Amino acid sequence: MKILIIEDEPSLRELMCRELTREHYVVESAATFFEADAKLAGYRYDCVLLDIMLPDGNGLRLLEMLKAAGRNENVIVISARDSLEDKVLGLELGADDYLPKPFHLMELSARIRSVARRQRGGRREVVLGNVSLDPEGQRVTVGGEPLHLLKKEFRILAYFMQRPNHLIDKTMLAESVWGDHVDQLDSFHFVYGQIKNLRRKLQEAGADIEIQAVYGFGYKLVAQAVEPA
Amino acid sequence: MKLTTRVTLRLLLVLVPLLTLWAALFYVAMVDEINDETDDALENYAEWIMRRHLVGEALPSQGDGSNNSYELRSVDAAYVTSHPHLQFRDAEFYIPDKKEYEPARVLTLLFETPDRGWFELQVATPTFERADLQETVLGWIALLMGLLLITGIALTMWVFRRSMTPLYRLLGWLDGYLPGHTTTPVPNDTTIVEFQRLNEATQQMANRAEQLYERQKQFIGNASHELQTPLAVLGNRMEWMLNELQLNEPQMAEVMRLLQTQRHLVRLNRNLLLLTKIDNGQFPESTAVDVVALVKEQREMLDEIYEERGVTCRLILPERFVVQMNESLAVVLVTNLMRNAYLHSADGTVVEVLMEGRQLIVSNDGEQPLDDRRIFERFYQGSKREGSTGLGLALVRAVAEAYGLRVKYAFDEGRHRFSVTWP
Repeated sequence: MKILIIEDEPSLRELMCRELTREHYVVESAATFFEADAKLAGYRYDCVLLDIMLPDGNGLRLLEMLKAAGRNENVIVISARDSLEDKVLGLELGADDYLPKPFHLMELSARIRSVARRQRGGRREVVLGNVSLDPEGQRVTVGGEPLHLLKKEFRILAYFMQRPNHLIDKTMLAESVWGDHVDQLDSFHFVYGQIKNLRRKLQEAGADIEIQAVYGFGYKLVAQAVEPA
Repeated sequence: MKLTTRVTLRLLLVLVPLLTLWAALFYVAMVDEINDETDDALENYAEWIMRRHLVGEALPSQGDGSNNSYELRSVDAAYVTSHPHLQFRDAEFYIPDKKEYEPARVLTLLFETPDRGWFELQVATPTFERADLQETVLGWIALLMGLLLITGIALTMWVFRRSMTPLYRLLGWLDGYLPGHTTTPVPNDTTIVEFQRLNEATQQMANRAEQLYERQKQFIGNASHELQTPLAVLGNRMEWMLNELQLNEPQMAEVMRLLQTQRHLVRLNRNLLLLTKIDNGQFPESTAVDVVALVKEQREMLDEIYEERGVTCRLILPERFVVQMNESLAVVLVTNLMRNAYLHSADGTVVEVLMEGRQLIVSNDGEQPLDDRRIFERFYQGSKREGSTGLGLALVRAVAEAYGLRVKYAFDEGRHRFSVTWP
């Protein structure tokens, strides 16, 4: 899968390249509107990560040009202006997703995977080992058998499954599942409880993925076979 | 105190004693003149009687209707030497006309006839006429001075008001002035030079305030935007370290702590941006939002999070309470109020959310009142809590201001009470 990163900030561009290369994508990058325009004119990509604010132009213009040319690249719009207008405008112009800065690279990978899944046609499940999770349908199956999870447990598992093999610390997990409210807590017993139940349910169902604790800091979802990129 | 009231009072303060003094002086002068006239009349009357007596003509009868009366008797030399020859005095005098004693002005006169020796003549005129006159004079003086005072004050006020119209117009404009909102220029249609200058100066100040306000808004917005990318880089580099470099436990702990700080920065930045956007009115679209449903949703989540600390919540709410608001902002309003209450509750206490008419009250236990003038300010934190951005209540106020809601803080019966009232 070939990805074009259009981002003017060198440090962030480098990080995005590094992360996505590590995930075995073929990565190209462009720092300016002009450069991006030239690359898009010359090559085809599967996915384009598009920063809206470029030094020499608005990234949304590139999106418009792509769509006008009838190209079917998936576009994920990245913006430092976490504004609804940018989001609405981007999605209206045909972007597949919108990611406000500052984002986690893990989040970015998860979005790319989800966009790619949609591209491959209809199959929305995230599959890891013998566990399959349908984010929209809120269903989980282990080895074909449905696994009953509570709402929060499902959200935790979905979060982990979209970020396999990544260390996820409890604050990050708590924030993504419970929202910003947890930011001022000093203990995360409510996270421990949920994780404990989830682990038990996965184990009882015979899943070959496991949520491992990493020192005292957080967790990592480990599977025998990671979904191919 | 209003300027017109103050001017009126000052004028009264000066004019009342002054006019009273004038009136008093005038009255004294008048009375003096009246007494003088009375004495003159008495003298003439005495002279007339004396002359008639001397030439031997018949003296007038007492009851001639003139109210004047006289008494003539002869006296000896000893009496003459021991009494003044001409004396005015006020005394009770028998008025034969009325057959009674009356207060009167009396003139006593001693004169010598060539053939019959010394006589004493007493002429008297009753003073009631004089008193009547004095009373009338006093009445008129009081009336005229009063009228003068009233017309003077009324005229002054009228002229004052007329001349001050531009000032009141300017004040009216200032009352409606809101930095960042006002577009109408300062009214300046006066021909009075001083007011023209005042209006121009106000316009200049307003322009300057407008510029500064705009620049400050832009600065916060720009600064926050520009921080987003570096913050993303910072966080992602640290996550990379955690995932890709084989760190040992203490190293990992250190990076985790760095990440926590980074997340705090991200949150701070996000909230500042949110504040800026609210202040800029960037949430224009409104929908019908059920506040009660929002409260219940938040309660469920917060209960879960704070369960281990034993903080519980009591809801006293109607079925529903629907308002026209931007949904995101309604969420910001409700969540910040509620999480603030949960966060600052001691273990095992109760948070109460109460809806009274169009007022939402969120209360929690507290030991001492907070500074109600500063509690809604940005970055004001009564008790510093790690990880808190200090922007929660500032956000509440910003949302409230955007919709003209009234937010209030009160401390009673050992509880902090935050209330929001929909108009």
